[in-house]
Amino acid sequence: MATSTGHVSGARATGSSLRLSFLMFMADPQWLIPSMIAPVIFGLVSFELFRSAGPYFLTYAILGAGMMSMWGQTLYGSGWAIGQDREFGTLEPTIGAPAPYLYVVLGRVLWNVISGLIGGGIVYLVVVAAAGAPPAVPDPLGFVVLFVFVMLTLASVGIVFTAIWVYTRYAGFVQNIGEFAFYVGTGCMFPVVLLPFWTNPIALFFPPTWAVDALRYLAIPGYVGFGWGFWVDLAGAVATTLVYVGVAGTIFRRVERHVLEDGSLSWY
Amino acid sequence: MSDPPAIDVRGVTRVFDSRKGFLFREHTRTEALRGIDLRVESGSIFGLLGPNGAGKTTLVKILATLLLPTTGQALVLGHDVVEEQPWLRPRIGLVLGGERGLYNRINAKDNLRYFADLYGIPPAEREERIREVLERVDLENAADRRVEEYSRGMKQKLHIARGILHRPQILFLDEPTIGLDPKSARETRKLVRSLVSDGVTIFLTTHYMFEAEELCPELAIISKGRVVARDTVAGLRQLVGGDRTIEVEAYGFEDREIVSLRSLPGVSKIVTEEFGPRTRLTMRVRTGETLPGDVTDVLPGHPELAVRERRTALEDVYLDLVEEEAP
Repeated sequence: MATSTGHVSGARATGSSLRLSFLMFMADPQWLIPSMIAPVIFGLVSFELFRSAGPYFLTYAILGAGMMSMWGQTLYGSGWAIGQDREFGTLEPTIGAPAPYLYVVLGRVLWNVISGLIGGGIVYLVVVAAAGAPPAVPDPLGFVVLFVFVMLTLASVGIVFTAIWVYTRYAGFVQNIGEFAFYVGTGCMFPVVLLPFWTNPIALFFPPTWAVDALRYLAIPGYVGFGWGFWVDLAGAVATTLVYVGVAGTIFRRVERHVLEDGSLSWY
Repeated sequence: MSDPPAIDVRGVTRVFDSRKGFLFREHTRTEALRGIDLRVESGSIFGLLGPNGAGKTTLVKILATLLLPTTGQALVLGHDVVEEQPWLRPRIGLVLGGERGLYNRINAKDNLRYFADLYGIPPAEREERIREVLERVDLENAADRRVEEYSRGMKQKLHIARGILHRPQILFLDEPTIGLDPKSARETRKLVRSLVSDGVTIFLTTHYMFEAEELCPELAIISKGRVVARDTVAGLRQLVGGDRTIEVEAYGFEDREIVSLRSLPGVSKIVTEEFGPRTRLTMRVRTGETLPGDVTDVLPGHPELAVRERRTALEDVYLDLVEEEAP
């Protein structure tokens, strides 16, 4: 009689994948650089850039550096986690297990969200330490909630990116090309409205663009951004995030089928 | 109603299309499997023998739901490997082996915990089951060590532990002893035998003849994507013309002598090999029909004539069948 029930809950697969990601993170010192050291550097650079930008410069500094740090961890790290599975040869046994692979990916992405939040926290502490005082945020609770939501919007894009890693071993090529364009184009470092106008409609396809703009509305009094206000930004962020999650689910089913047809699961 | 066979493969083909180059795309088409038909009953070890590139791993991956066949149908435990993956995956185990396929930076227990969760082993049973399988493969004392510190043999044991963790009904072992030292290989074979006594059907690929002969009551030989023979070891000996082999060596033979040898009773096949000034004739002979003395009588006047008789080895059978397939 098989011990395996064959039924694996999404929560259990996600939790187990999250735990594995944590263990792998702790076992590999190279991750300390992007997750612990880079946020310190980003925070200090951002502080210097924005210190003469007005009364809310601290918030700008924290948002800019925080997003830069979290972007790498959440989005880039998620894709890379699957790339590592290819490298280790663990993608085959993982996909061959009964647990739906999408939940395994979700666990990887959630760990990266958590480590991204840690990076954001480090940026906050560094900027506050450099300035000698915490930033003035009109609605701290709303800010924190929205901050976590911004991470989830990044995660939704991260899941789509991971599908590319499952699809092809050359995903790193796509990701490296897209990384900084995406980072600047979604307004993570500075508002998208400061970019050439033609980039603005493209940026609206990405959930973080809306979410980061909403965050700035909440944190910086007098912020103009796209000009359509906090609630429209928030609705746009929720809608685009849902679209990305839906797209990710569809893509994963197709990608899983594709790699079984293609026979490329063990390539790296 | 009788149970379905453990494996039932009907006309399975698998073609790999690959493209390389960026501007000038080069298309390569490889036929890994060219119409495989195979039926394996439950409850024993079935061996699939074949040279490198014969299609063994491709077939195993298809049966383990990790690769889709191009055409044909494969049923495992009576269920289609393409359409019924969710039913099959908890019931089958796969051991691909090698240095890859494990999370090397974490320990064996954490590797197994992860896969126990992905296989839906009830949380209340998980730790006990992990302890059981680690004990079974003799890794209980290394359970808390990072896998990167393991020897090749220990990694292979961990692969097997993961393959049996969820108590599969059928276990696919792809060249389980390749690259292992003799002691580790012997321990692995002992472990494989013990799994059968638990009621697990084992489908094993190998290119080690002695391993197949030692472990597999039945086996198939695959060459260039086709099953060229399928039988018991004794049946395969008969298939190549005899369970006895007589080797004759001398400084050359005349054609009429070879014709005379061919006409001896029970001689089915003679293979000629030259090595240096000597020539060796390898004859497949049915038991009791032609004896070494009969051979000597047909070859008078040869100085330093050497005649040896031995049981036809599985390796002889394998080489005969695989060489017949060669272009």
